[in-house]
Amino acid sequence: MKGRGLSPGKATSDVVVCNQLISPLGEISRDGFVTSGPCENTNITGKVLAFKGGRGSTVGSYTFLELKTRNIAPTGLINEAAEQMVVTGAIISEIPMVDRVPLDVFLKGDRVSMNGSTGDVSILNVKERRVATVYLMHDGNLLLLKRSRDMPSYPGQIGGISGFIEEGETPEQTGRREMLEECSTEDAKLRKIGKEIYVRNDGNLYGITPMIMETRTAKVKLNEENSEFYWIKPGDLQSYKTVPKFQETFLSLLGRTGT
Amino acid sequence: MRQLQLTKEEEKIFEGEMGDAPKLAIRLLYSLGELGEAERLIPIKSAHISGVSYKNVGEGGIEFLKKMMHKVSVPTSLNPLGFDIENGGPVDIDETFHKKQMEIIGIYQKMGVMDSFTCTPYYFYNEPSFGDHISWAESSAIIYVNSLIGARTNRESGPSALASAIIGKTPDSGLHRDEGRKATVVVNVAEKLDYTRFAALGLFLGPKLNRNIPIIKGQKEAKGIELKALSAALSATSSIPMFHVDGITKETSLVSDSPETINVEKSDIDETISKNSAQEEPELIAIGCPHLSSEELDYIARLVKGKKKVGPDLFLFTSREVKARSLESVKTIENFGGKVFSDTCMVVSPLSNNYSKTGTNSGKATFYLPLKGYGNQKVAFMGILDLLKWVIG
Repeated sequence: MKGRGLSPGKATSDVVVCNQLISPLGEISRDGFVTSGPCENTNITGKVLAFKGGRGSTVGSYTFLELKTRNIAPTGLINEAAEQMVVTGAIISEIPMVDRVPLDVFLKGDRVSMNGSTGDVSILNVKERRVATVYLMHDGNLLLLKRSRDMPSYPGQIGGISGFIEEGETPEQTGRREMLEECSTEDAKLRKIGKEIYVRNDGNLYGITPMIMETRTAKVKLNEENSEFYWIKPGDLQSYKTVPKFQETFLSLLGRTGT
Repeated sequence: MRQLQLTKEEEKIFEGEMGDAPKLAIRLLYSLGELGEAERLIPIKSAHISGVSYKNVGEGGIEFLKKMMHKVSVPTSLNPLGFDIENGGPVDIDETFHKKQMEIIGIYQKMGVMDSFTCTPYYFYNEPSFGDHISWAESSAIIYVNSLIGARTNRESGPSALASAIIGKTPDSGLHRDEGRKATVVVNVAEKLDYTRFAALGLFLGPKLNRNIPIIKGQKEAKGIELKALSAALSATSSIPMFHVDGITKETSLVSDSPETINVEKSDIDETISKNSAQEEPELIAIGCPHLSSEELDYIARLVKGKKKVGPDLFLFTSREVKARSLESVKTIENFGGKVFSDTCMVVSPLSNNYSKTGTNSGKATFYLPLKGYGNQKVAFMGILDLLKWVIG
């Protein structure tokens, strides 16, 4: 995964995932435990600590320095969205830090390798696969595909046109190839391509590049990968059971937040 | 992503030509500039530094401060410490704590920082004006000066505010630009709030808003001290650097195109207060987080005048300067049997050395004091009149 490198250095450790904001002053004790929220009483010594972001006291930076001085610091920090008090703590304590990584890609017991200079984060023993997903539009409608019962991942669920990016392909090329294979659609124009998002599915981590394409024809001819298709109004998307992060990714492609 | 351009002068500091402390300082500012996607550093008019109490700074912090030992280049005020330097208290301090604390103070004094020892330096010592670019730490003061005064500071940490104080500059990002000051959430509060209910509003909203700047509607009569209570509670429970209040603050025109809306009900505030209040008699009533203004000291003095204290201890916290200017009220409160401390407060002093149950009207203290290994208190969070019922016979 590619996050944003914030404090240099490398770490490889078990990850502790805390789905909460943390005030390092008070909410991390001087003996290396989280003291409130979902991670209360969890030890972070020698771990990569992944949490939403910092909050509270501007003195919190010194907590990391104190843990480092006592040799009980976390080996690395990962945030969804960092603010500067925690980043400052990481820099002055020489703890590697990366942000812009979602917390839901980690499972309990994962071992994580991270590089605070490049922003690279990987989960050991998890296979990373690159995927392109096309949100195909026609005349203001969005194409949904119901995945066949015998698909290896997300069978029977609803998604877009999707496939693995093969060696040497750009995400757009993959999108066009899959569109042809799955729907026999050739004429689409690329409207928008988004940043890669990450979805964890057991031993697989999918790095998905989403894009919106627009076609002049509503005609769709399915292959065996999908069993049904629907053209829907984008506003009706909420009423469909879709593959993970499908709806929020579409909203962010449209420039809206998914609330 | 190396967008930040340093001037020739700054490059020299970056390369260490002005010494190790300025080199460390400008490198930290450079990294934070990249984080905030700043293109340059801009001059600041003042700095305010947190990270003074030995309880918060620790051994690692002392070593860091020694490495940063250098004269500050702009007027710089300082946060409270672990005890009242001249009068002692509020709680017993062991010899090591005292020695380490004075070592920290000594380092800051050598840097040329003011002996302000307060989290409300905007009352005296260090008063920014509208539009000033400044580099302040202390979460409650940052949000107060951005919101109520219209000065411009990011949520600096203790170390980054110190770095800025040495260099005299800060990255031109975030709150220094109009774009970073825009409200993205409209918060409607129907009920008219008082000091404690504003503090409760902060505790309620902080985790919900996370980092989004709110514009609060329905509170056109809010007083400065009430918004100080909101400032402290909101910034303890989030990383929010600023708020707008419709009809009161000066930059309410800065609102993003399609803000979300949150409606706060009376029951939200009621539940926040009851959830945070242990129903036990406190051993200590602690008021003054953030530090009290003269107006607040005078108000409390009027409430206790001519009476004799019973029950729990009553401690009030303010700055030296405010205390010196409100001597009559201080005398009234002391005659009652209360104590007025300066330089320190219930959060940054090691309160659990003497107490385990504290009553307060501060949302910020209500957040920090119960935390294990930090405040270790059972907290009764309630309004000032209810608090004083414990001590007025």
